[in-house]
Amino acid sequence: MIISDRTDKSKYSNVWVVAELLSGKIQPVTHELLGAARSLAAMRSSQVWAVVMGSGIAEQTHSLFAFGADKVIVVDDIRLSGFIDEIEASIMVRLIEKYKPEILIGAATARGRALIPRIAVKTNCGLTADCTELGIDPENGDLLQTRPAFGGNIMATIRCSNHRPQMATVRPRVMKALEPDFSRSGEIIRENVQDSDALKIKRIVEIFHSDQATVNLGDAQIIIAGGRGVKGPAGFEILRKFAAEVGGAVGASRAAVDAGWIPYSYQVGQTGQTVQTKVYIACGISGQIQHLVGMQSCEVIIAIDKNPDTPMMQIADIAVVGDLFEVIPEIITNLASN
Amino acid sequence: MKHRIQKKMYHVEILPPKQDTEKLEADLELFAEKYNRVMESVYCASITDNAMGNLAFQGTEIIEELGLEVNPEQVMIHLNTFHTKQDLHNILDICKSRGIKYLLIISGDGSDRLPRLQPSDVQVKGVVESVTSVELLKYIKDEYPDTFVLGAAFNPYEPPEHEFEKLQRKLKAGASFIITQPIIKKNDIVDELLEKYPDVPVIIEAWMSKKIHLLSDAVGYEIPEDTQFDPIETLKMLHKIYPACGVYLSLLGFKTQYHLIKETWI
Amino acid sequence: MKIVVCIKQVPATSEAKIDPETKRIVREGLKAIMNPFDIYAVEEGIQLRDKFGGEVIVLSMGPEKALLSLREAISLGADRAILLSDKAFGGSDTWATSYTLAKAIDKIGDVDLVICGKQAIDGDTAQVGPGIAAHLDWVQATYVMRVEDADSKSIKVKRMHEDGYDICEMDFPAVITVLKDINIPRVPTLKGCLASLKIEIPVWTHADIGAAIEKIGLDGSPTRVVKTAPPPPRNIITQRIEGSPQDCARQLVRELRIRSIL
Repeated sequence: MIISDRTDKSKYSNVWVVAELLSGKIQPVTHELLGAARSLAAMRSSQVWAVVMGSGIAEQTHSLFAFGADKVIVVDDIRLSGFIDEIEASIMVRLIEKYKPEILIGAATARGRALIPRIAVKTNCGLTADCTELGIDPENGDLLQTRPAFGGNIMATIRCSNHRPQMATVRPRVMKALEPDFSRSGEIIRENVQDSDALKIKRIVEIFHSDQATVNLGDAQIIIAGGRGVKGPAGFEILRKFAAEVGGAVGASRAAVDAGWIPYSYQVGQTGQTVQTKVYIACGISGQIQHLVGMQSCEVIIAIDKNPDTPMMQIADIAVVGDLFEVIPEIITNLASN
Repeated sequence: MKHRIQKKMYHVEILPPKQDTEKLEADLELFAEKYNRVMESVYCASITDNAMGNLAFQGTEIIEELGLEVNPEQVMIHLNTFHTKQDLHNILDICKSRGIKYLLIISGDGSDRLPRLQPSDVQVKGVVESVTSVELLKYIKDEYPDTFVLGAAFNPYEPPEHEFEKLQRKLKAGASFIITQPIIKKNDIVDELLEKYPDVPVIIEAWMSKKIHLLSDAVGYEIPEDTQFDPIETLKMLHKIYPACGVYLSLLGFKTQYHLIKETWI
Repeated sequence: MKIVVCIKQVPATSEAKIDPETKRIVREGLKAIMNPFDIYAVEEGIQLRDKFGGEVIVLSMGPEKALLSLREAISLGADRAILLSDKAFGGSDTWATSYTLAKAIDKIGDVDLVICGKQAIDGDTAQVGPGIAAHLDWVQATYVMRVEDADSKSIKVKRMHEDGYDICEMDFPAVITVLKDINIPRVPTLKGCLASLKIEIPVWTHADIGAAIEKIGLDGSPTRVVKTAPPPPRNIITQRIEGSPQDCARQLVRELRIRSIL
């Protein structure tokens, strides 16, 4: 909603978190968002509310209190068993009008990135995608939303002074969840789906659950990525062993994907996934610009390559000069013996 | 192919205009000018296919669009694996209908924008993960029997054992002549090639740019940027060393060098 | 099927260099290209038209040089193109951008399907597609990896989620955003390129599409960028590990432990 003056602004309070559900289960990113919401609410002397929309979800609400929610709005309806963007957005618009939250945060996942923009437009609100930092301006209480732009080249801080609620999405693993306190509890508010929410909607014909369907590299702490230097599908087997040993995920450069050694869903880079993991180990990846924009924001970059002069070896924090087929098995042996 | 080498017919590389050019019509005119000049000299125009992964127009569509004359002995089209199946057939069909018979089949360089032939496109079954020049050669030979004279590339700077093994597969798949990577002096691996395949016509590539350091990546060792290089003298030397080989001229300067090559192959 | 494909012109990162000081990518002075994800949207539009009939209209908001990207879409096979260009559009955020595009789609009229790329590589927000659907109050499907079927009234698509896929059916009018998996885009033909040079591309201003001045451009954008800063530069000193494979492995593992990575 457009806010014209201060009294208008003061009608909005509390920080909302839109719960992320997959296969009917509340996802850890929701807990992370609650952690972020708690510190924002502390600065605004307000409450943290979570909104859960789904079917048969009543039992899962207690964890939301444990991770920091003061109140939970539950919309439990069979029509919410699949992801129907139109219904969920319509419900959210009604709830926002009714309860007037000051801040709303959602997950920057496939669903969050579909749902939250729809809500933002319908409520005349601004929305900042993929925030890496959320804070409060001490002078006027506005939400300050910081996000990387241009593949992590610029950090932009954004505000929405004249609109409430202020909306942001955050990727999984960016914020930290609080230690859960299962003794916490709070009020549960039940809301219903109204027929008007379901006027113009899609029909879900079929749902497939599959772990292999998508490789969500954003969830990993460590990515072991392979490029042209991995030479073939057999080379990726070595990377998989390495990844298993350190609890990481496997990624790939476009060259490896184009060669048919590994599916596209593993591709990191401009036309693949952008990742911001704690550690990125590039194995036999020369580091074309299109790849670098997808991973340059990782905390620690390690490169393993025979050629010491590739761009990747230049930007890496640690550059291991050596044949990955010789070095990686040694690393695995070394890790296993410790 | 042999008779063309005996006739001292140079293969002159011509790069088609890039897709992102801002002066397409002027570029097309220049292409036609070069092409016609090669025709007049009774050399062979060797037209590249998205060289270095840069998106460019196809030689076949330019020949069609501009209505350029095709003498079957004087045109060679490069064809790599970065096409959709439909595009591949479009190109081959134009070649067939216009009487273009010499094709150089290479794996090629990809880019974000270039589609790649999938194993199912060229009817490869089994364990092949990606389509290389070997699969493409076989596919063209099977789909267009007795239509084309197919050539393959040979890289003397790769580990020889591996490269000779690949070459054997290329020849088996249908290649009947060979074009090497640029060589700038006597090359042991090329000597070995000539010895191993005395009956297969070999065309060596001569680097016609003065910027010899650009070859660093291809040859696998660093050539300093200030290295002096005389392409014409080198070309004369290569003819002496390899009198039985044909020659492919890459990056030939049409304004500065073209008139000089008339007298080099004697 | 009347299809509108929304495209954006973005800087071509492929030509960028790395700043030796900050070890980050220098974005200044880059060539403009069609957003790579949008090429898949154009291809899907063309394939649907070829299969089900109708027309493909490409739409872009941007400066005059965005005409180049629109011509590229024409050279691939789109039927016509419209550029939304107006000083008043400057500074639009995703809310104002999706409003402007929605108004243009309204003006085009009788549109069945809007196709967008998943996101643009410069902003990376993925918000404009769903934003257009919201402004028009149409149904939407994002992260579409395949069009399963369509007829004159509806479309059936396969969507990707973190935990799998679903297949959903939507009555027209609808908006979809597409992933790279959806097709293999063709490359422009010479004939197509030459034809695209001759085609007239209309340029529409805010008045042409009846957009409210308070809802477009910077004034119509709820979000404001208050500060931009370079991210902390990457560690400038690269630690090099060399030696036998055993030595390399040992040193690396030790280093990872010191840095509490393992």
